[in-house]
Amino acid sequence: MRDVAIIGCGMTKFGRLEGKDLMDILVEASLKAIEDAGVRDKEFDAVYVGNMMAGELVHQTAIASALVDRIALFPAAADRVENGPASGASAVKNGFLAVASGLADLVLVAGGEKMTSADTDVITDLVSTMTHPTAEYLHGVTLPALAAMLTRLYMERYGLTERHLAMVAVKNHANGLKNPYAHIQRAITIEGAMGSQLIADPIRLYYTCPISDGAAALVLCSADEAKKYCDTPVRIAGVGQATDVQSVHEREDPAVLKSVRLAARKAFEMAKLEPKDIDVVELHDAFEILEIVQSEDCGFFEKGKGHIAVEEGVTALDGELPINPSGGLKARGHPVGATGVAQIVELVWQLRGEAGERQVKGARRALACNFGGFGNNTVIHILERMD
Amino acid sequence: MDQKLMGFRCKSCGRIMYPKHERCVSCKGMNMEEVELGNQCTLVTYTKLYTLPEGIEMPPLTLGIVDFGGVRAFGQIATDEPKIGMKLRPVWGKLRRLGDKDIYGFRFEPVESG
Repeated sequence: MRDVAIIGCGMTKFGRLEGKDLMDILVEASLKAIEDAGVRDKEFDAVYVGNMMAGELVHQTAIASALVDRIALFPAAADRVENGPASGASAVKNGFLAVASGLADLVLVAGGEKMTSADTDVITDLVSTMTHPTAEYLHGVTLPALAAMLTRLYMERYGLTERHLAMVAVKNHANGLKNPYAHIQRAITIEGAMGSQLIADPIRLYYTCPISDGAAALVLCSADEAKKYCDTPVRIAGVGQATDVQSVHEREDPAVLKSVRLAARKAFEMAKLEPKDIDVVELHDAFEILEIVQSEDCGFFEKGKGHIAVEEGVTALDGELPINPSGGLKARGHPVGATGVAQIVELVWQLRGEAGERQVKGARRALACNFGGFGNNTVIHILERMD
Repeated sequence: MDQKLMGFRCKSCGRIMYPKHERCVSCKGMNMEEVELGNQCTLVTYTKLYTLPEGIEMPPLTLGIVDFGGVRAFGQIATDEPKIGMKLRPVWGKLRRLGDKDIYGFRFEPVESG
């Protein structure tokens, strides 16, 4: 296997993108990434597009072939990659494998989802179909319900309080305010969050991510070639993916995200790094509880202590280990197929020192965790600045 | 109706699973036998859901994970006052309406006498 680098990245603003359809935003993000890499006149060997539900939401299938058509990348190989809300990171992993194996020299990875044109009820139901068809879905489960049951376990075992969820939300909104690409650019208060509508007790509206449109894209090539295109390429130092049983009740311990633990372990082993080597992190806070639990199961904090780190400001933008400088899914938004790619776009900007007001000073190594299903399929990437 | 909530026991290693897997999640064994999960379970965690899925009329819908002494299940909890550790028992009935179909299954109701 050869080393793989990211030489270009781009994304659309996330939010309610009126007048732009799924293909428009995939095209926009892809062209930005191609321009950023300076490879406009080069031939791409492969294209991977992360997307969860274009067929269901916008009545379009085979979107990777459609993207190639719109931006004239023929005869590049093209595949749509679906892994629930981790479709984006799975697309990145496929791009990595294509370059690492030598099968491809220049690869475009894009991720996108157009969600705001559908009713919230329809989206909640479609997302619920990721759960076990008979043991969970038929009983009326929703993703907020699964997140709420995890929260309840954390409250019982580890002394987490609702206030901690509000603190994560306040932090991520503050970061989102500094991110021009974020869906929600508005500061919130602890009291405001704790006064918001109950969705699934103890989870309130402000402890969940919004429904968004958006796309993000990356250009990958071999690390040996990367310096030809880019002053500060970012190497994909580690990739880890792991699965777990589908039904949450069947997990060894329903308070442990085992797929996150195993994926993180694999990614760290491959990168020959440890959690203490990481400077900046993007986690999958579709619900604020998940940022806390993932921060522990990735190995950054002891089990049951993630909320203490939030309390102490460790995960704030100016803390020892900033988590979700982009605003996370909470504020940047969560167009599901785009999220895993957007996390990596943010981290590439952070490692290049191009993240503006939300720049984590001197960041050299970063980790992104993209969470599929309700934690039964997690993809983690570790990135490192090359210079 | 004399319905029992059934789990699946791997004949190779003895692990009981719910729901069914074609291969045992512990040993990959493929011979399963149905076993009753029993009449008593305890509540492990729960939520009261206010944003309801299709076919549920009145909020909140209480949902939870229950434990039958090692093997767990998920479902509707027939009380508005759930408490972790409370004793429950599975009861067959209509769970929700989905499309044009009534969905039947087990929900878990509190065992009356404390």
